[in-house]
Amino acid sequence: MGSAPHAAAPLLEFHDLTVAYGGKPVLWNVDLTIAEPCLFGVIGPNGAGKSSLLKAALGLVPIVAGSVRFLGLPLDQVRGRIGYVPQRETVDWDFPVNVMDVVLMGTYGRLGWFRRPGRQDRDFARECLDRVGLADLAGRQIGRLSGGQQQRVFLARALAQRAEIYLLDEPMAGVDVRSQEQIFRVLAELEAGGSLVVVVHHDLRTAAEWFDRVALVDRRLVAAGPTAAVLTPENLRRTYAGQLDVLDEIGRAVAARGRTP
Amino acid sequence: MTAPWLSAMTAPNTLVAAGGVAAVGFAAGVVGSLALLRKRPLVGDAAAHATLAGVAGGFLATGRRDLPTLLAGAFVAALAALGVLVLIRRFTRTRDDAATGIVIGVSFGLGIALVSGLPRWGLAGSGGLEQFLLGHAAAITGRDAAVLAGVSLAAVLVVAAAVKEITLVAFDAAFAAAGGWPVDWIDALVAALVAAMVVAGLPAVGAVLVTALVVIPPVAARLWTDRVAAMLMLAGLFGLVAAVVGTLVSATRPGLATGPLVVLSAATIFAVSLVVVPRRRQEGS
Repeated sequence: MGSAPHAAAPLLEFHDLTVAYGGKPVLWNVDLTIAEPCLFGVIGPNGAGKSSLLKAALGLVPIVAGSVRFLGLPLDQVRGRIGYVPQRETVDWDFPVNVMDVVLMGTYGRLGWFRRPGRQDRDFARECLDRVGLADLAGRQIGRLSGGQQQRVFLARALAQRAEIYLLDEPMAGVDVRSQEQIFRVLAELEAGGSLVVVVHHDLRTAAEWFDRVALVDRRLVAAGPTAAVLTPENLRRTYAGQLDVLDEIGRAVAARGRTP
Repeated sequence: MTAPWLSAMTAPNTLVAAGGVAAVGFAAGVVGSLALLRKRPLVGDAAAHATLAGVAGGFLATGRRDLPTLLAGAFVAALAALGVLVLIRRFTRTRDDAATGIVIGVSFGLGIALVSGLPRWGLAGSGGLEQFLLGHAAAITGRDAAVLAGVSLAAVLVVAAAVKEITLVAFDAAFAAAGGWPVDWIDALVAALVAAMVVAGLPAVGAVLVTALVVIPPVAARLWTDRVAAMLMLAGLFGLVAAVVGTLVSATRPGLATGPLVVLSAATIFAVSLVVVPRRRQEGS
């Protein structure tokens, strides 16, 4: 460690990551390396800290201890190479913008301060909309879309970021089957194009068929690796049972940490 | 012979004041729309109630009572109030609305105590500051009007330059932050713009009611359109009309305060919008 990043640096690396909100731990000592492009699922029960893992990677929640590196580099040097799809419920869908406006927001990072999207950016945004099957809804107000369509708008916005690493927070939640298949097809295309796609996902049944590799998370990393090897009955039992014990244990540990200077 | 009320409305100094207030109304509508989109419509309220203390403070610190000096004091006080709001939010577990209530009450109480207390303590030239409570457009001179128009123009130009960044943060702050945009600073910019327009609205509309100038026109404009740019323009237009109507009507009778008339004009625009815009549009489906 500490040497210059080289071509073989892992795409995404969590090193002993601990995340807490106001003294309450949500993730404890996560050590996880994703070396190669793949479709990577982050699986676990509600409140297991799956979203916090993505948010910590993006600097949206404070990291108590540990570190995150993309391509061997700290976040600030690689922001332009990361695409992000937040949970759909985090925004107000009554906001006065249309579908095209939202997708164009994906180009803002490249444009920088004060520059407006130009013709090329609009053409590219339209391509991104086409890839998620919404080309003919470009002018529609976003509140007049179905849940699945809204999620696909968010995906199109991430595509417009032209990233190498995509982080998606529950993109399949509350989404109709047709939209789910469309979203999954786009993610598979991204992976085939050499991108890393990390998806926070709650549905165990679909996880097995969609992801090459998965991590089971329940406030700590239970297991990670090739999907078939990780999704064993024993690992699932450890992920979805006994949450209270683990909570207590982590709570005591964080409290103890707070006392020592 | 023209009617007395008409000649009062069209008197040169009335028209000059109305011109300055019109610019303020436009810019307040534009800037207020951004605060509304960010779901922080009460930023202006917290700023407005602190201005009175700032007016008194500006007078105390300089001994002068020309409008730019007093408004500079009001702007400092408004920013200080917003700063305290941020500190309360960050370091205590007080809810947002409760924190706003505390800041409004305390700063307004301080302002009232100062503007009513200073003359009684025999401070020469300190009388009449309480006209900033309800607004008094007739006191606006040509030079004052030019200052107000200048502040308004500057605020609109800042919005025109940064509307892309401000809209991004208002719609999806997490996405903006993940992309490396300084969300806290962009929020601070919007709050400072709102504070500036609240202060600029002070001479005509007064500390108590000036919030309405940054809230009602944007809410009315939102009913008419589903695009940010159109909403900003329309809110500006509504604010301008309300400001001009309120100023001109208040000129017809010596005792009429401008602020309430401006607010009632804005409320009329809102009420008409509610009736005229089809319900289907208003429900967004």
